[in-house]
Amino acid sequence: MRLNAKDLASAVLLMTVAIIGFWINAEDHAIGTARRMGPGYMPMLAFGILAALAATTFLLGLFNGPDPLVPWTQAELLAVLAGIAAAIGITWVLALQPGIISRNWYPLGLGLFAGCLLMSVAPRWRKLGLITAGLILFGIVLEVGGLFLAIALCIGLAATADETQTVKGAIGLILFQIVLCWFVFIYELDIRVSIWPQF
Amino acid sequence: MEMLIDNLAHGFGVAFSLKNLAFCLLGCLIGTAIGVLPGIGPVATISLLLPITFGQEATTAIIMLAGIYYGAQYGGSTTSILLNLPGEVSSVVTTLEGYKMARNGRAGAALAVAAIGSFFAGTVSTILVAASGPLLTEIALSFGPWEYFSLMLLGLIISAVLAQGSVLKAIAMVTLGVGLGLVGTDVQTGQQRFTFGIPELSDGIGFVSIAMGMFGIAEIILNLERPEAREALRTKVGSLWLTKEEWKRSTPSVLRGTALGSVLGILPGGGAALASFGSYMMERRMSKYGHEFGTGAIEGVAGPESANNAAAQTSFIPLLTLGIPANAVMALMVGALIIQGIQPGPRMVEAQPDLFWGLIASMWIGNVMLLVINLPLIGMWVKLLEVPYRYLYPSILIFCAIGVYSLQNNVFDVYQTALFGIFGYICAKLRLEPAPMLIGFVLGPMMEEHLRRAMLLSRGDAMVFIQRPISGVLLGIAAIALIAMLLPNLRKKKDEALAG
Repeated sequence: MRLNAKDLASAVLLMTVAIIGFWINAEDHAIGTARRMGPGYMPMLAFGILAALAATTFLLGLFNGPDPLVPWTQAELLAVLAGIAAAIGITWVLALQPGIISRNWYPLGLGLFAGCLLMSVAPRWRKLGLITAGLILFGIVLEVGGLFLAIALCIGLAATADETQTVKGAIGLILFQIVLCWFVFIYELDIRVSIWPQF
Repeated sequence: MEMLIDNLAHGFGVAFSLKNLAFCLLGCLIGTAIGVLPGIGPVATISLLLPITFGQEATTAIIMLAGIYYGAQYGGSTTSILLNLPGEVSSVVTTLEGYKMARNGRAGAALAVAAIGSFFAGTVSTILVAASGPLLTEIALSFGPWEYFSLMLLGLIISAVLAQGSVLKAIAMVTLGVGLGLVGTDVQTGQQRFTFGIPELSDGIGFVSIAMGMFGIAEIILNLERPEAREALRTKVGSLWLTKEEWKRSTPSVLRGTALGSVLGILPGGGAALASFGSYMMERRMSKYGHEFGTGAIEGVAGPESANNAAAQTSFIPLLTLGIPANAVMALMVGALIIQGIQPGPRMVEAQPDLFWGLIASMWIGNVMLLVINLPLIGMWVKLLEVPYRYLYPSILIFCAIGVYSLQNNVFDVYQTALFGIFGYICAKLRLEPAPMLIGFVLGPMMEEHLRRAMLLSRGDAMVFIQRPISGVLLGIAAIALIAMLLPNLRKKKDEALAG
C-alpha cells in the first residue's frame, strides 16, 4: 500500500462536509419527488454525490501515493486544537452575555480572533494565524473604533507575520493606506462607515 | 455583416465615452501591474475590486474588470522574459524560450513579439466574440431547461477535467461548490436552507467572501510561507524591433497561437493558462525550428503569448451568450453582473446592448492601450518589481477587509472571508483546487432551477435529457471527457501540458 496522505485527508474533509450537509438536509428540508422537487432534492443530490466522490478519493488514496503531508508536531496539533476550542468557547460564552457584547457579531469576531492568535503561537501556523487575526481584528474594531484605527491595527498585526518587516516600514504603510483608503472608499465611493472612534 | 458593423459602431460609441475610456485604461494599468507582480493574480484582484465597482454603471464596471484580465496576460510576459519570473500562470511557458532569448541579447525582440502577437490575437478574437455573440445567442434562445442543465453540467465537468491535478478531487470540489451555492432561501418555496438561523445567510453565502478568502487571503498566507526570491534586472532590453528573419519565423506561430487560443478560450474550464501551455506544445511539434526549442526560439514566445491573450478574450463568449462562466475569472464576472441586477444569459445582447457591444469594443481599445502601455513603458513596469511583498500584502489585506465590509455594511462578511481564507489555505495544502469550486458555486443555484423546471415539464422522466438531441449530445461530450481522463495515457499528457 502506498498511502496518499493528501488525498486521504482531502477525502476525510469532503466526507465530513457531505455527511453534515446530507444529515441536516434530511432533517430539515422536504425532499419531494423527481417530478416535484422540494427544497431538499438538489442538496440531497449534491451532498450524496460529494460523499460518493469523497469515498472514491479515499479508496484510491490508499494506493496512488506516496504523497505525504509534513507531519504535525505535538505543539502544532495542540495549537490548532486550542485555537478551535477557544474560538468556539469564547463565541459561545459571549453570545449568552447580556448587552452590547452579544450583538453585532462581537462574539464570533472575538472568538475567531482569540482562536487565530492562539494558533499563531506555533511557528508553523504563525502566518496563517496572524494574517487571519489581522482581518478579523479589522472587523471587531471598525464599528466602534472607526476606519482609521481599524486600518492601523489590522496592518500593525498583519505586519508581524513577515519577519523582514520593519517598524518604520509598517508605520509608513499604515499612513499610506489610511490616506489611500480615505480617498478611494470615503472620498470617491462614499461608503457608510465612520472614520473616527464612536463613543 | 452590416448588422455587425452597426452594432460595433454602437459599441465604440459606448466605449469611447470619457468615463469608459478612463476605466478601460485603469483596468489595463491594474492588469499589467498585477501581471508583472508575482503573487497576485487576476482572480484575487478582480474579487478585491468587485465591491468598488458596485457604485459604477454595469458597463463601466465590466469594462474595467475585463481590462484587468486581459491586461494581466500582457504584463505577465514582461517579467517572464526579463527575469525568468512568471507573473501569471499563463506566462510560465514564456519563461522557457523568452528568458533564453533575453540571455542571447534579444530581450527586446521577445518583448516586441509578445506584445505584437498579443495585439494581433486580441484583435482577431475580439472580432470573433462580436461575430459569434449574436449567432450563439440565437441558438441559446431556443434552449429549454434541459439543454441549459446539460450545458452547465458539461461546463462543470470540463472545468474539472482541465483543472490541475486530480480530476476526481476537482469534481469533488465542483460538487462542494454546488452544495455551498444552495445555502440560503429556496427560490420556489421560500424555505431557509442551511442558514442555521443566521439572517446574513438567507441570501446565500457571500460570493465575494468566498472569492476573496480562497484566492486573496489564502494566497497571501501561502506567498508569505514561500521565501521571496527576486533578482534585479541585469538583462539589457535592446532594440524593440524584430529582424526580417524573426518576423518570418514568428508570423505562423502567432497565427497558430491565435487559432488555438481562441478555441481553448471558449471551452469551459479553459482559459489563458491552458491556451499558452497548449500552444507551446504545438509549436514545439509543428514549427520548422522545433529543434531550437530550449535555446531561445522566438516561436516559443510568439505562439503562447498570442494564445493566452486570444483565450482571455474568447472566454467571454460563453459568459456573454449563455451566461455560463468558462473559468474562475468569468465566475467573478457573473457575480459582478448579478449584483448589478443583470442576469447573464442569451437575453443580455437584446436587453443590454450597451454592455454587450460596449464591452467588445472596449476590448479592442484596451488592446491598443496595452500595446502603448507595455512596449515604451517597459522600464517602469520592471521597476514595480522592486516593491517588496512585505509592502504589498498588508495593502491587499486592507482592501479585502474594507471591500467585503462595504458590500452590506456588515462585519459578518469580514469574518466569513477570514474563515474562507483558512479553508482556502487548507485546500491548497491538500491540493484541492479552489477554481472549480467557485464555478460550481456560481452554477449550482442555476442548475437547480433548470433541473426542477425540466423535470416538472417532463413529468419526472429523466430520460428526456438524453432524448432531446442537443441536450443528449452535450451530455455525451461530458461523458466522453470523463472517460477520456480515465485513460492513463491521456491523463499523463494533460499533466505534462499543465506542468509545462
